[in-house]
Amino acid sequence: MLKSEYENMINRCVRCSICKWIPQVQIKNQEHASICPSIDFYNFHSHSGGGRIILALALEMGRVEMNEKVRDIVFQCTACGGCSIACQYLNTLDPTEVIMDLRRKLVQEGVGPMPKHQAFMDNVIQSGNPYGEPRKARAEWLEEGIEIDDSAETLYFVGCTSSYRRKEIARATAKVLNKAGLAFKILGSDETCCGSPLFRTGEDDQFEKIVERNVAMIEKAGIETVVCSCAGCFDMFRVEYPERASFSFNVISTAELFNRLIDEGRLKTGAGKDITVTYHDPCHLGRQAEVHEHWEGDVIEVMPIMKLNIPEKPKRCGAGGVYDAPRNVLEKLNNITLVEMDRIREYSYCCGAGGGAKAAFPEFALHTGKTRISEAESTGATCVISACPFCSTNLKDSIKESESSMDFKDLGELVLESLGRDEKNFDGMKEDMEGKHDES
Amino acid sequence: MMNLDEYAREALIDAVGKKNVSFDEAILEVYAYNWGMEVVNSMHGKEPIPFSTPPVAVVLPSTTKEVSKVLRTCKKHDLTFKAQSTGLGPWNNPSRDNCIIIDLRQMNHILKIDERNLFAVIEPYVSGAQLQSELMKHGLNCHMPGAGPQVSLLASSTSMSGPGFTSPSTGYSGRNVLGVEWVLPEGEVLKLGSLGLSNEPDWFCGDGPGPSLRGVMRGLHGAMSGNGVFTRVAIKVFPYPCSTEWEITGDLPDYQFKKPDHIEFYMFDCSKYKKGERVMRAIEEAEISFMCSMLSGFGAAAFFSNSLEGVIDKVTIARMRVPILVAITGRTSRQFQYRQEVMEHLISKFKLENVIGSKFTPPSISYAEAIRNNFGMHGFISTGGVRSAHGSMESIGMCMNVTKANIPLKKKYIKREQIANDFGEAVWSTSIERGHMYNIEAMALYDQCDKHSITGVAGYCIDSNEMDLHNHLGIPLFVEGDELHDHFGPECSNYHEWLRKIKQILDPTCIADPGNYISPGKKKKEGET
Repeated sequence: MLKSEYENMINRCVRCSICKWIPQVQIKNQEHASICPSIDFYNFHSHSGGGRIILALALEMGRVEMNEKVRDIVFQCTACGGCSIACQYLNTLDPTEVIMDLRRKLVQEGVGPMPKHQAFMDNVIQSGNPYGEPRKARAEWLEEGIEIDDSAETLYFVGCTSSYRRKEIARATAKVLNKAGLAFKILGSDETCCGSPLFRTGEDDQFEKIVERNVAMIEKAGIETVVCSCAGCFDMFRVEYPERASFSFNVISTAELFNRLIDEGRLKTGAGKDITVTYHDPCHLGRQAEVHEHWEGDVIEVMPIMKLNIPEKPKRCGAGGVYDAPRNVLEKLNNITLVEMDRIREYSYCCGAGGGAKAAFPEFALHTGKTRISEAESTGATCVISACPFCSTNLKDSIKESESSMDFKDLGELVLESLGRDEKNFDGMKEDMEGKHDES
Repeated sequence: MMNLDEYAREALIDAVGKKNVSFDEAILEVYAYNWGMEVVNSMHGKEPIPFSTPPVAVVLPSTTKEVSKVLRTCKKHDLTFKAQSTGLGPWNNPSRDNCIIIDLRQMNHILKIDERNLFAVIEPYVSGAQLQSELMKHGLNCHMPGAGPQVSLLASSTSMSGPGFTSPSTGYSGRNVLGVEWVLPEGEVLKLGSLGLSNEPDWFCGDGPGPSLRGVMRGLHGAMSGNGVFTRVAIKVFPYPCSTEWEITGDLPDYQFKKPDHIEFYMFDCSKYKKGERVMRAIEEAEISFMCSMLSGFGAAAFFSNSLEGVIDKVTIARMRVPILVAITGRTSRQFQYRQEVMEHLISKFKLENVIGSKFTPPSISYAEAIRNNFGMHGFISTGGVRSAHGSMESIGMCMNVTKANIPLKKKYIKREQIANDFGEAVWSTSIERGHMYNIEAMALYDQCDKHSITGVAGYCIDSNEMDLHNHLGIPLFVEGDELHDHFGPECSNYHEWLRKIKQILDPTCIADPGNYISPGKKKKEGET
């Protein structure tokens, strides 16, 4: 965001509280009317999208000093983008962009990020992943039977969380691609974090270095398509990388790819158990995955006070997210019945993990996850499906914490189940289907 | 900003719990900000910034008992308080440097929906959209104030104005109040209406036992937290106007609403205010409208747009002089048909041309916004700032006088390039309760980032108030605080003396911030002891 845009935006909040709710016309009941996990947990107005815009203005005007309390308020947010969607229904403010700018400022001033974030930033820089795991262990999720084709032009960018923490997602994705006969390679120990943890916590300089490194490596490998099973990685590659680098490869999420492979008849589904599921839209596959549409034009003062953008400035309100593909996949798995939650698509409620919340404010993250699980339960579904390893982690933790009987599966795992068993992948699939996931 | 002593801090923590109180500068500053504060500051000769004096603390009570404890703490420690629910507008801000904010966000329960007796009992942080979505399950609807479906219904009902776009069929907030739970400034809990009965108290009636205190509670416009904190209220609910189907498809910003059975817009240009008055009166006498608003062409175009570009595109509407927008609804096909036939008859009788369906097709989502009362926020899309300079509930004749009188006055500021050029005509006028009363607000579009514009709109508000006073145009919406009440009172039957007596009885030591209400004692002039 340009400085002038930032200054304009922080002066224009009308404190209407719209940012706390899903778009008003989408409210279906009282319980699921909110869109902001932060205000739901912390309750003070400062913890809403609008509140943080006001805080930005107070900082700019010198009414408040940049200190640790300001830092906490700015980081006690999952940066899910819900407030921006709500505001852009009628207004033009983008509180999430202001929050991201504030985070960058806090880091530049040496006040931010949160100490926990600093630790994982250091890990990303030193080990290529926020968990501080050794690089050489990055491909340990691979198991016998999974075929990697080093000459392939498709790269499966596994991501840190699926590589080290949610290995079942990486395995399921790889097996589905194998079954579809889609040759792919991985970067193995050369794969480095996509940079999302750095970007989300305001460490922009380091993030740009990572973008540069990853783009160079992927281009050098002659990759045509990068496949992401992690919504966070996908968001970075599709939305943020093009802002900082030019490259020729395509980026696709597993949800989009599976949908296409089913349509092409390359995946024969229908073998799984009959279950009723509900789908959780990850913020980074949904509203945050809408690319930035840069506006160029003139601001015409059609009359005093009234300024018109010619051409009209596009609003970034989430419509460009990936919503239909995962739903189409679920629809095409014959044994699945999809029931929707009240908050879906661009006005989905966050899982609670994003924006560094899981690391720095685990209680907040868990509260948010439990809220989402409760909403999932209200649909009558027995299983929550999503397409993000980070959502997976927090929603599974939330299921456990709330002693819910809900199950959670990544879309890839569900697709794999529906493909049935074959000898080649039997052992791995059995483990996946029995839920013996790697929680290390 | 005053520093709060340790004992007061501990007492507040004791009242609501540590995690529900903040003394932190960053949080307090956020509560010092509000839309329109820059205009209020300018009107008082201060720097036109959107910040008031910050509160010394913010508390988040969860129960009436906690509210009461907070107020007792205020009394003991010489603090004032300002209570807020959803918090939109400068009347939520402190006017004293020893003020705490009581943010009622955690009191957000719908306690009861009495389908049979047509009322709902709510806490302060229940929004219009929340209650409506729950009422829809029972085939019911609620009134919402013009500020929109995101604001508190309790605050509008007990404390602040309250006409809305559906006022023809749902009244206005102050008229819909039944039983009330009211924490008086010194912490005592008062129960109004049938809730105060010693035997079988319930929420169904707002008057009694004994003399009704509803008028004392809010008068016409409300005390804006100047007389205590309202923690629960029962409000009237109404039959849902049409079919309760609610299906929205598509993604933002292109939502499509499946228009439910039995709702239709009508819009026509009456060209002249006199004719507009006759048409509105006739529609309301026929008791057929769900919504019936007189607008300016510009305002009408804004209702159906979500950007300034969208407004400019709607030339057909924007060039109208005196447009009236009506929503006709029906609970049944028969009722809907009857109302439509009456509407057609009136269109024919007054030689009107309905542009809906002929020259203009509203976006389908407009029907959802009409039902959900979401048109108010459209006022901000053109310049970012909008302010009602005049606002009062009066007869329609008086409303037209106000409308016409405001045109030359507003043009003065338009000419100075301080207010956007709406030809001076931008007003929103609605019937209330089938023409029993009307509301008029003269809107001024301004730029809240432009000091020249802010001082202009402030000047317009001051001049508009003076004009109302000297031309006998009624008491405007924003006569708040000692200075204005003392100015208007002597010209208006000395009402201010009675208002002050109420404050003296309820709050003799002035614990409730009187900034938007009145002080118990007459404000001392400079140098006066």
